[in-house]
Amino acid sequence: MASERIESIKSLFTAKSAKVETNKGEQYYANLYEKCKTRLESLQELPPVSNKIKIESALEDEGVNRRDFLKWASATTAMLMLPASFTPLVAKAATLMNRVPVIWIELQDCAGNSEALLRSDGPKVDEIILDIISLEFQETLMAASGHQAEKQLEDAIATFKGKYLLFVEGSVPMGMDGQFGTIGAKAETFYDHLKRVSDDAAAVVAVGSCATFGGIPAAAPNPTDAKGVMEVVNGKPIINIPACPANPANMVGVLLHYVLTGQIPELDSLLRPKFAFGYRIHDNCERRAHFDAGEYVEEWGDTGAKNNFCLYKMGCKGPMTFNNCSIVRYNEGVNWPIGVGRGCIGCSEPDFWDKYAYERPMANANIKAPTGGVEKTVDQFGLGLLTAAGIGIGIHAAASVVAGKKGETNE
Amino acid sequence: MKEGYKKVKRMTPAMRIVHWANFFSMIVAIVTGLYIAEPYYQTLIAESAVDKYVMAWNRWGHFIVAIIFDVTSIIVAYLYFFSRFEKPYKKVIPTGKNIKEFLAVLMNLITLNRKKDFDSSHLDSFNAVYFAIFHLLLAWMLFSGLQLYVHGLESGESSIGSWWPAMLHLVTDWTIPFSHAIVGGTGPATLMDVRIMHHYIMWFIITWVVIHIYYQVWRTIYWQEGDIAIVFGGTKFVKEDKEA
Repeated sequence: MASERIESIKSLFTAKSAKVETNKGEQYYANLYEKCKTRLESLQELPPVSNKIKIESALEDEGVNRRDFLKWASATTAMLMLPASFTPLVAKAATLMNRVPVIWIELQDCAGNSEALLRSDGPKVDEIILDIISLEFQETLMAASGHQAEKQLEDAIATFKGKYLLFVEGSVPMGMDGQFGTIGAKAETFYDHLKRVSDDAAAVVAVGSCATFGGIPAAAPNPTDAKGVMEVVNGKPIINIPACPANPANMVGVLLHYVLTGQIPELDSLLRPKFAFGYRIHDNCERRAHFDAGEYVEEWGDTGAKNNFCLYKMGCKGPMTFNNCSIVRYNEGVNWPIGVGRGCIGCSEPDFWDKYAYERPMANANIKAPTGGVEKTVDQFGLGLLTAAGIGIGIHAAASVVAGKKGETNE
Repeated sequence: MKEGYKKVKRMTPAMRIVHWANFFSMIVAIVTGLYIAEPYYQTLIAESAVDKYVMAWNRWGHFIVAIIFDVTSIIVAYLYFFSRFEKPYKKVIPTGKNIKEFLAVLMNLITLNRKKDFDSSHLDSFNAVYFAIFHLLLAWMLFSGLQLYVHGLESGESSIGSWWPAMLHLVTDWTIPFSHAIVGGTGPATLMDVRIMHHYIMWFIITWVVIHIYYQVWRTIYWQEGDIAIVFGGTKFVKEDKEA
């Protein structure tokens, strides 16, 4: 534990933190363009892995026309922080998404990230793209079950050894030798399951807060000793896409980046792609002016709430949360938590359920005192400390007065 | 001057300026800091959001006193080692002599001034350690505060250049795992840990101040050497036979 802590401190000193380089110079992008072009050409020569659906027909079936698709392509280019000249490459990469095999496994979670993709009312381009990827295994979606499903997973691992991207949804229960979560006919623990599938993956993408940092299963008192993927899997490139649920736009972004460049995107110190998690919600919030003005919603449904005032006093954690939902929003720009008037719960940050999601300002929320034990607000703890000091002073002062008088009589 | 007493210098003008600068900065820092943590009054000005700027002014005030604290801290840190008047670091090092003096002053406080076998004419080890605790608490507030501040400079740019956020990350990023080690939690270290610790330490500082004021007043009354005058005039009085 101690060595891990030292490592984490070292990594924080050497990490390039949240800094986002939005312009890397003309030469850099010219080289990248050529590289991406060559990569896409070589991908195009490969046959689709197994998903034969063509994006053109998929888009047409869902009523998305070419113009909408290209609008999406330019927006996604911007999201990935690439110059506008990359738009044709991004559009082309989208058509080649089925060249990269993807295995998606589910551990201790609510399947909310799968749901986020599936249940959208009228799938948008992001969701359609995820329809046409070469998804070799996905427990929630696949028709096969039991031994057949297991067989399919084994086949996929054997066929695409070292080439597939592994998407993981859900945390890994480590308590009781991992017996809190088992899967399949052989009752393989989630930990063994993850190990087996990740050993042959090209890279591991942890999707959602549970898979990245433990999420809700890891919330206090964390009965199953739930851990995020990055604490369990070693020796593989890991990309974290936190948030509850993770934004499909960011999943597509990571996949597209991989298809386009053959590399994982630039990551921050928590292994989150910087293009998505390099910015703070607060700094791109549409209600920021109300924050600076001191105009806050005081209670749900009050005049402030009706006038879109800042939700800071209702516990909005935008000022501490790094995510791009204030920019790209959810469901292709339809809306996002602050837009619907209920504040940010910091779902893309570690320990979000215990440290961010209490829907009150931090100063007014019950959190554990540094010593552990009783849950009090910071201010209650502080006032207690002050009271104790006051009592101590009172006793000392009173005793001094008494002792002083005695001293005088003695003299 | 009272017969048999002599004046001794205890605080230089620079030290007194630092003391009062800290005094006023701390009041402003607490008043604005509590507002930033949880806005405790409502803005009752019938102006549009762009004109009111109440939170922004609070944050501005908080940052200004933070800068004053930065400056005074650098001065104090310098004086610790290079002061021509007295070098406090010499009294903080746990040498046999210092430990003995520390315990003697502590005994004086516990025995309610029945025992007083140390020289109170100059800075004693107990006071030096007590102030060192304050300086460490304050240093924590500065580093953790700058960490919270740099979150808003995520583009890596600032109006004075990219060196500023880069430097802030370099010197304050350690506060994240450090806070996490104290706050705890199951996931990796997170920014909220810093915010929680920044708020907690405010209460420790307030407690420190309360005890500090009490101790100075108590000393003044029981030692009868005019200690409370040090921070105003820079001098106190000691019995002549006591002076070494």
